[in-house]
Parts: sequence; C-alpha cells; structure tokens
Amino acid sequence: MASRTVAKDIITLRGSAAIVSEFFGYAANSILYNRGVYPEESFAKVKKYGLPMLLTQDEENEIVGKEWLEAGKLQRVVMVIMSKATKEVLERWNFSIETDSDVVEKGVSREKSDREIMREIQAIMRQIASSITYLPCLDEPCVFDVLAYTDTDVPVPFTWIESDPKLIANPQMVKLHSFDTKIHKVDTLVSYKNDEWDEQ
Amino acid sequence: MDPETEFLSSKRQTGNEWELFKENVRPLKRGRNVDLLNHALKARTNDQLKKSLLENRRRLIEAIDEYQGDDPLQPWLDCIKWVQEAFPPGGDFSGLVLIYEQCVRAFWHSDHYKDDLRYLKVWLEYAEHCSDAEVIYCFLDANDIGKTHSAYYIAYALHMESKSKMKAANDILNLGISSNAQPIEKLRDAYKKFLARSMRRPNATEEELKEDDLPVRSFGTVLARGESQRQAIKTFELGRNKLKQDQVHRTPLSIYNDTNMDVTRGHHSKPNTGSNSWHTLGGRAERNKENDAMPAKWTSHKIPQRPVPRIVGAVASAQIEVFVDEECEEKPKVHDEKDRTSSLQLRELDGRNIKKETELLRENPLRNFPSNSLPR
Repeated sequence: MASRTVAKDIITLRGSAAIVSEFFGYAANSILYNRGVYPEESFAKVKKYGLPMLLTQDEENEIVGKEWLEAGKLQRVVMVIMSKATKEVLERWNFSIETDSDVVEKGVSREKSDREIMREIQAIMRQIASSITYLPCLDEPCVFDVLAYTDTDVPVPFTWIESDPKLIANPQMVKLHSFDTKIHKVDTLVSYKNDEWDEQ
Repeated sequence: MDPETEFLSSKRQTGNEWELFKENVRPLKRGRNVDLLNHALKARTNDQLKKSLLENRRRLIEAIDEYQGDDPLQPWLDCIKWVQEAFPPGGDFSGLVLIYEQCVRAFWHSDHYKDDLRYLKVWLEYAEHCSDAEVIYCFLDANDIGKTHSAYYIAYALHMESKSKMKAANDILNLGISSNAQPIEKLRDAYKKFLARSMRRPNATEEELKEDDLPVRSFGTVLARGESQRQAIKTFELGRNKLKQDQVHRTPLSIYNDTNMDVTRGHHSKPNTGSNSWHTLGGRAERNKENDAMPAKWTSHKIPQRPVPRIVGAVASAQIEVFVDEECEEKPKVHDEKDRTSSLQLRELDGRNIKKETELLRENPLRNFPSNSLPR
C-alpha cells in the first residue's frame, strides 16, 4: 500500500489559538450575513479559507480573545440569535472546543498540514452557508449574542457578563463538520426552534 | 445536561444528505427537520424507503378521514407538514398544492377557523404556489379569513409589491396597522421595510442586471415568491397566455420590472416576447431551470405515457417522476364504499393526475369553490 506523505506544519499553542480565534470571527460574520441579522450593506468581501468570506465593516472581528484558548480554558463558544422584539432564542450555533492539555501544560507543539486545517474549516463554512436548506426563515429583526463557556476558575473579564445559557426548548439539532489543529478540536452544532404552525 | 451538550458530546452524527443534495431541497419558511429531510433524500434512490413514504402518506390521509376530535384542521396540518418533509423539492408531483387546496376548501365556511393562524398559513402557502395569488387574497378579504393577523396583510402587500402595485401595497399595510392586526410590531416593521424598498425602486422600465459579487443568500420567503414569479415569467415566455384577460393589460411589463426578483438568481430573465426562444440563451433563471424546484411546464409536446412494468430491485433514477410511476403501478387497495370522501381523492391520484391537477390549480386556485363563495 503506497503511503502518501503530506507536508506537515508545526502548530504551536499560540498558533492554534490564533487559528481558532480567527475561525470564530469569520464564522460569526458568516452567520450574521447568511441569517440576515445585519443588512447586506454592512459586509465587505474578503478572501479567506479559499472562499469568498464576508466581514462586517468595523475592524473588531475578534469574537473571543486568544488568551482563553491559549490557557486551554475555553470549552465552548455559542452564538445566539434572538428575536429583537421578544428576546426569544431562535437559533444557537454551538462550537465546542477540546484542548490538548499536554500542549498547554508542557508547551509541546504538534504537526499538521496547514492546508488540511484550512480545508476542514472551509467545509464548515460551506455548511454554514448551506444551512438555509433546513433553517427556519428569520423574518423578524434579530439580535446576536456570543456566549463563552469557560472553566470555572476563569475570572470574567469586564467586557463579558455572566449569563444564563439562553437555551432553546425542544430544539432541532444538526451536527456539522469539525476541524482539528491537533491542539484544539472544534465541533459544530446548530440548534433551532421547532416551528409550529400556530406561532406568530 | 441540556440536549445540545448531550448531542455534541455523543458520537452521533447528522447525515450529510442535506448538504449533498441541497439543490433538490426547497427551503421552507418554517424550517425542516433534518433527519426527515435526510430520510426523504435517501428515499429517492431506495425502494424500501420509498414504500415506507407511500405508506405514511396513506396513513396520514386516512387520519384526516377518521379524525373525531374538535380540531379537524390538525390532521390536515400533520399531512401537509409531512408532504413538505417527504418531498424536499416540492414540485408538481408532490401533491402539495392539491392538499393545500383541499384543506382550505374543507374549512373556508367555518367560523371556527376564520381567525386561526394555522388555517391562514395554509392559505398563504397555497397562494405562494399559484401563478397569480391576488384572487386568493381577495377571497380571504371577502370571507373575512385571517384578517386579525399581520401575516395576512404582509403577504398580501408583498404580492401587490411584486406586481409593482405600490399604492395598493401601501394601503394594505396601513389597513392592517389601523386594524391592529397581531403581532403589530411585525406589521410596523414590515411597513418600514416596504417604505425603504419603495424609495430604492428604480423607474418603471429600468432593468438592472445585477451581477452579485457577494455570495448569495436567500430565505424561504424570497425563494417562494421567486418561484411564483418564475412560473409567471415562464408561462408568458412560452407564449401561452393563460393570464386572465384583465391582467394581461396590467401586468405584463410589471413582471419584468419586478425589483423583488429573488436574489438567488441574480439576473432577470430577458423577456422573449413572442419571439422564438431558441434565439436567446435566456437569463440564468432560464438556463438553471433544471435545478429549480418547480419543473418547467411542458409546452405542446405530449409525451406518451407508457406504463412501465415495475422491476423489483431495479436501479431507480434520481428523478422524482420515477417515484410517482411506481405509485401508478401499485395495485390500488380495495376501498370500502364508505371511504369515498373528497380527501380520498388524494390517495387515489397517480402521478399524471397530480401534475395535471396541480397545474390547473396554479392557474385558477379557486376553481373548485362554489361560485357563491367567490368575491364579486
């Protein structure tokens, strides 16, 4: 059986945290765009992950700081879409993170092809855009919120507030692809309300 | 543990049929259940699953007949929801339009459902499938159905807007607001958006060929309206003047001036007024028509239907037409005479009838209604 050697790149904790943090920024923007939370005009096109991606015009597209990722203390990031009028939670985009604790504790690095990581992320981005296939239409003004699930020993920075998880009751759930830098593994799940015919 | 955490940490995966076959899936405003969707997509190439789908359909239709409780609309809704999930592309062979029509006709005179939002929604979905839904909105108006709900005014106004009847759309939305339709915030918001759009409207004869750089995004509402627009355009382009007399004078140009054209297609189809459509390539909508959820109308060609002997275990093609052919071939079960209610027609229809009946209803959605119920 022929074996294929793939050129691998060194991944450090710092590097991995940067990849994951950047991913969250682009994923959030993609969700904001594809779900119509912000109007089209707020977005500018950029190239990333081999895809046309969109970013909101303001520079601050870092959703979650890298420090938590570098400390291995970030467990999950959830992007919540709520009705502006009623604050009812309509959609939750869950990104769970598994961190290799060896790397955090001992400072070792790992190896994986950058290209492959990018391909994995690309697959997720494509799925986010394709999710209109099954997601309910959001035909009312919505607001967007980010929840970070951290280890309990993490102090809450002043830019964040403690919050309840804003869950959806009896959600429909769809698991999407995941990506793995060999240091951080990110799984994706989107949950949404069951739409009943007697709802406004 | 909340269900999401549980699912995330489990080994369970969601099938990827939804992504692989997404072009065969018509988005629904209410969203879809992905497991049912994946199942339905698998059924296209799997005889066992197809059989189970047909069984399900029979059972749901029987449930409509057998229902004893005090909410007879509910089994209809169960059936409609199921057909939507089981036939992801929708289309003329799904029988969806027929079920909508029979459902609304079953209850149009019922006081019980006049203000029922679910009943209104069936009407509104029916309207989205018709080539000209104005007659439906007039009917609802004349019969006082759904007028306490914002959804009615929003849908009606959007329809008028799509025909460039801006004043009418404006009046409808205002009427809804002054009637305090619920939820009022949604109606107000829709009105604001309508005003913003009408400011941006180009002049009547301008047609923008918008080459959209941005990756297109579309939502259930836009897509559905777009479908009925495309149907209207195709009907016109194919030279068949099925539009009602009065509409021919009012609407031909407005169809092509439609700035509400759904963004998934991006281009307006250039009108082929009367000329041979082979001379032009047609817009993207025309070229892409195989991928549209609704099959294009066959024109003058009659394709002779030969009953195809059913071969067990044969490789099924991916087209939904084959699915229906098998239904034709199945020996109809023996019905009791007492079963002969109108909803049974759904069960007995074969593929050809479903398509024919669907086409007739699209053009004339109220054709089966008693004439004394029609407006004016």
